[in-house]
Amino acid sequence: MRLFRFLRRKSDLTEELETHLKMAITERVARGQSPEDARKAALHEFGNVPMIADATRSQWGWLRLEQWLQDVRYALRQLRKEPAFTLTVVLTLALGIGANTAIFTLVQGILLRSLPVTDPSRLYRIGDKNDCCYYNNYQNDNGDFDLFSYDLYLHLKQTAPEFEQLAAVEAGGNGFSVRKGAEPARPMRSEYVSGNYFATLGVGAYAGRVLNENDDTAGAAPTLVLSYKTWQADFAADPAIVGSTIYVQLHPFVVAGIAPPGFFGDRIISNPPDFWMPLASEPVLEGANSALKNTDELWLYPLGRVRPATNIQALQAKLSVALQQWLTTRPTYADHGGVALIPRQHVVLAPAGGGIQRLQQQTGTGLRMMMILSTVVLLIACANVANLLLARCTARRADVAVRIALGASRFRVIREILTESVLLSLMGGAAGLAVAYAGSYMMLTLAFPSAKNMPVQALPSTAVLAFTFVVSVLTGIVFGTVPAWLASYAHPADALRGVNRSTADRSSLPQRILIVFQVALSMVLLAGALLMTKSLHHLEHQNFGIATRNRYVVSIDPKGVGYTVDRLPALYQQIEDRFAALPGMANVSLVRYIPLGGNMWGSCVIPQGHTAPGPKDPCFAAWDRASTRFFESIGVPIVRGRNFSAQDTATSQQVVLVNQAFARHFFPNQDPIGKHFGVGSIQYSGAFEIAGVFADFKMTDPRGEVRPLFFRPSSQLFPGYKEPDVDAAEKSSMYLNFIILDFVQAPPDVETLTRRTLAAIDPNLPVMHFSPYDAEVAGNFNQDRLLARLTSGFGALALILASVGLYGVMSYFVVRRTSEIGIRMALGAARSGVVAMMLRGALWQILIGLAIGIPAALLAGHFMASLLYGVKPYDPLAFFGAMAMLTICAAVAGFIPSRRAASIDPMKALRAD
Amino acid sequence: MATKTKYQNRIELLQGTLDMLILKTLQWGEQHGYGISQAIRASSGEVLQVETGSLYPALHRLEHQGWVEAEWRKSESNQRAKYYRITKLGKEQLASDYERWGRMVATIEAIMTAK
Repeated sequence: MRLFRFLRRKSDLTEELETHLKMAITERVARGQSPEDARKAALHEFGNVPMIADATRSQWGWLRLEQWLQDVRYALRQLRKEPAFTLTVVLTLALGIGANTAIFTLVQGILLRSLPVTDPSRLYRIGDKNDCCYYNNYQNDNGDFDLFSYDLYLHLKQTAPEFEQLAAVEAGGNGFSVRKGAEPARPMRSEYVSGNYFATLGVGAYAGRVLNENDDTAGAAPTLVLSYKTWQADFAADPAIVGSTIYVQLHPFVVAGIAPPGFFGDRIISNPPDFWMPLASEPVLEGANSALKNTDELWLYPLGRVRPATNIQALQAKLSVALQQWLTTRPTYADHGGVALIPRQHVVLAPAGGGIQRLQQQTGTGLRMMMILSTVVLLIACANVANLLLARCTARRADVAVRIALGASRFRVIREILTESVLLSLMGGAAGLAVAYAGSYMMLTLAFPSAKNMPVQALPSTAVLAFTFVVSVLTGIVFGTVPAWLASYAHPADALRGVNRSTADRSSLPQRILIVFQVALSMVLLAGALLMTKSLHHLEHQNFGIATRNRYVVSIDPKGVGYTVDRLPALYQQIEDRFAALPGMANVSLVRYIPLGGNMWGSCVIPQGHTAPGPKDPCFAAWDRASTRFFESIGVPIVRGRNFSAQDTATSQQVVLVNQAFARHFFPNQDPIGKHFGVGSIQYSGAFEIAGVFADFKMTDPRGEVRPLFFRPSSQLFPGYKEPDVDAAEKSSMYLNFIILDFVQAPPDVETLTRRTLAAIDPNLPVMHFSPYDAEVAGNFNQDRLLARLTSGFGALALILASVGLYGVMSYFVVRRTSEIGIRMALGAARSGVVAMMLRGALWQILIGLAIGIPAALLAGHFMASLLYGVKPYDPLAFFGAMAMLTICAAVAGFIPSRRAASIDPMKALRAD
Repeated sequence: MATKTKYQNRIELLQGTLDMLILKTLQWGEQHGYGISQAIRASSGEVLQVETGSLYPALHRLEHQGWVEAEWRKSESNQRAKYYRITKLGKEQLASDYERWGRMVATIEAIMTAK
């Protein structure tokens, strides 16, 4: 450290000079002088100690560093002299820098981070899209293939020795009931991974061992690896858990080991897996419905480590060929015209050092927009601070002029002012860190309210600290340069003439430009904020087609606690009866997937009498299973035909209700009632009879159009499926995981009441999740809401900063022009004339600012278009609203100082200065 | 600012000559700052008094140039002091300085004695 060496040498020099003095005194005393006289004489002979030290130091070549220290000291002294100014600037900058740091914390945590594994740069994923979770057809029109079956994964693994290791991970994840000993079952997240998963990532165990190939063989004893956080939180960090048995959906699993702290899996998500299980255990849990055993079921993401110096392009081409080969051998993909689509199927190798990029792709646009907005806020803050500095520098002009007259170089003056600015912005940056922590904490909680063990933290990392430091320094330079430059042009003669007595002063132009700049940027932010807020309002208050008021959603897991299919009807009946008996209850229903709950299942629909659809024919329809009173419980009307009824029993005709979109799509211009269709294979096309049509409502995507959807009654299991896996899937569709409680008026302690009622039915059946339906729906818009709130926050901040800036500049002009105004008024100018004169100046700046800001805001709106719902990027309301808000605020900010100008007493004004 | 400039001027007046005198003094052995000033004073017959304000800047300049080296040691009176020692480079510098000085004296002498 140069600085430390410098400080040591400085103290050395002091000692050297002191030694000299002491020696001189000692010698004089030895010659017989009294110690006092000796001291006096020696000091006299020696001369001015600090000055000599100064002159000596100047020989070191350290002058620059020392001057810099002097600058810092001088700047600190200046700042201490004006605490109000310093505080204002530091607070302004803390907000600006804090906002940027908060956003950057998330950008760094989500977009820029590498997985905590060995050499992440050599990890590649086969596939670059985020299709999920189970498919058995082509995923993308352009042929981009990103989901793979187990068989296909093994085929690719065999083809590509370029991969040191190629693992496979489940595209989705599962929620399971986990039980240890006699403790009640707990909901946990899990992920199936291939046996070489940990070896591929280069991750060892914290305790016990990680999964290996032996665990991932058919018939191996089921094992799992717990995440460190789950071990700590849910198993009290008990080391004895390693080697012991825990029950997943009632199946025994041996805990092989615990993953290292900090390891959260192969992707950044808000709910990382609590444990990892080998792929081979999937049939254990899923039985005949296993995806692993189904050669054509696409549900895996291959993730591998390439050998050093592998040609990725060549490998990609090779894998694409292997994929096409495999597809030609599979009737599911090749038949019914599918063979024509095979040549365009290909894979893309995506770098996976940062993990599977799902969250990144979901939040990327929003985060990037926030980064731009926070930068704009910082620029406005800079403009404000620059304005304050300008005003201050002008006030200090006399001081600077005197110093230049005495020989200070222009460069030195600039440097001093820049030092002061950078010092200010560093202080602002330090305060900004606190703002940033609070900000990123709030953003994470708002964006991922149900996050558990989320691997993104609000605490600033080293990278974030470095970012803040760099931003602070840059900020200081940005807002300090103009004032420094202007101040350095102080003419020594001005100091003598009395610069403060002028009307036109040069520094007012940059100040006006800064105001114009602020108004323009604020316009962009405000328009953006209004657009986003309006878009959120449209999203949240659109007509979803379902009623959620006074409705509650209870999630249960009868499968996880051991209910078999034959015991389900009795359970459902009991649930319906018991809850219906509660006071104030209007409707009770059970459903497999709730509308707007985020999950869905679908199949290929084949109407009776139609030919089998090809792989690209749009035959897909979502389907769900519900109890009799489901449509009443969510307020959805039946528009044709009939509702489910008690007459729909296990043995009666299999019926379905379809939505209007379904009727339009599969039976255009026909009456769908009484028509038959089936799913999956043409042989089942007579399976279901359409009994009724219900009104369209949004099932999964709240932004998109309503897609074809049908419902089957909870009482009817289709017994005709011949393939064991299809039959198993049909059976597993009998498990209904949600209870919807529709109250006339909800009782105050509805949650306790619910838990008590359910416990009375079966104490072993836990409530996995309880929430008002409104909250469930609102959960779809967490990120939109966050974006809208942040944009509004930034917009408000911009508006305040710009108003304060304008107010400050206007006040300053009033002070500067006091004598001019005094003369005008002495010569007969009316007070209203003075106000008008001052306001005219302000108005021009606002108008020019708007003239620049409106096109800029239009451009910004154009870029935001993908984030908007139901709002045009040039929404006139947003634009006029922003203009009106800005103009009002600016007018108020300009009017107050103008009035002060008008209240100047001409006599006083002329006497002053 | 202004005062500092004045000081630097005074150093410049002595520059060269003072450096040479210090180097010469150090040729007899290593010495601390006070010792050097006393030695110059004594060997000039009390005529030349080196001002501390010139001496220390000169010493640090010589050190910076690499003509002398310094080390903190105990003095004969058991006082911690910074001792300066001439380096090989310093000796060469002394030789060239002395030679230049000789020429300058001769030149000036020639001017002064010219008829």
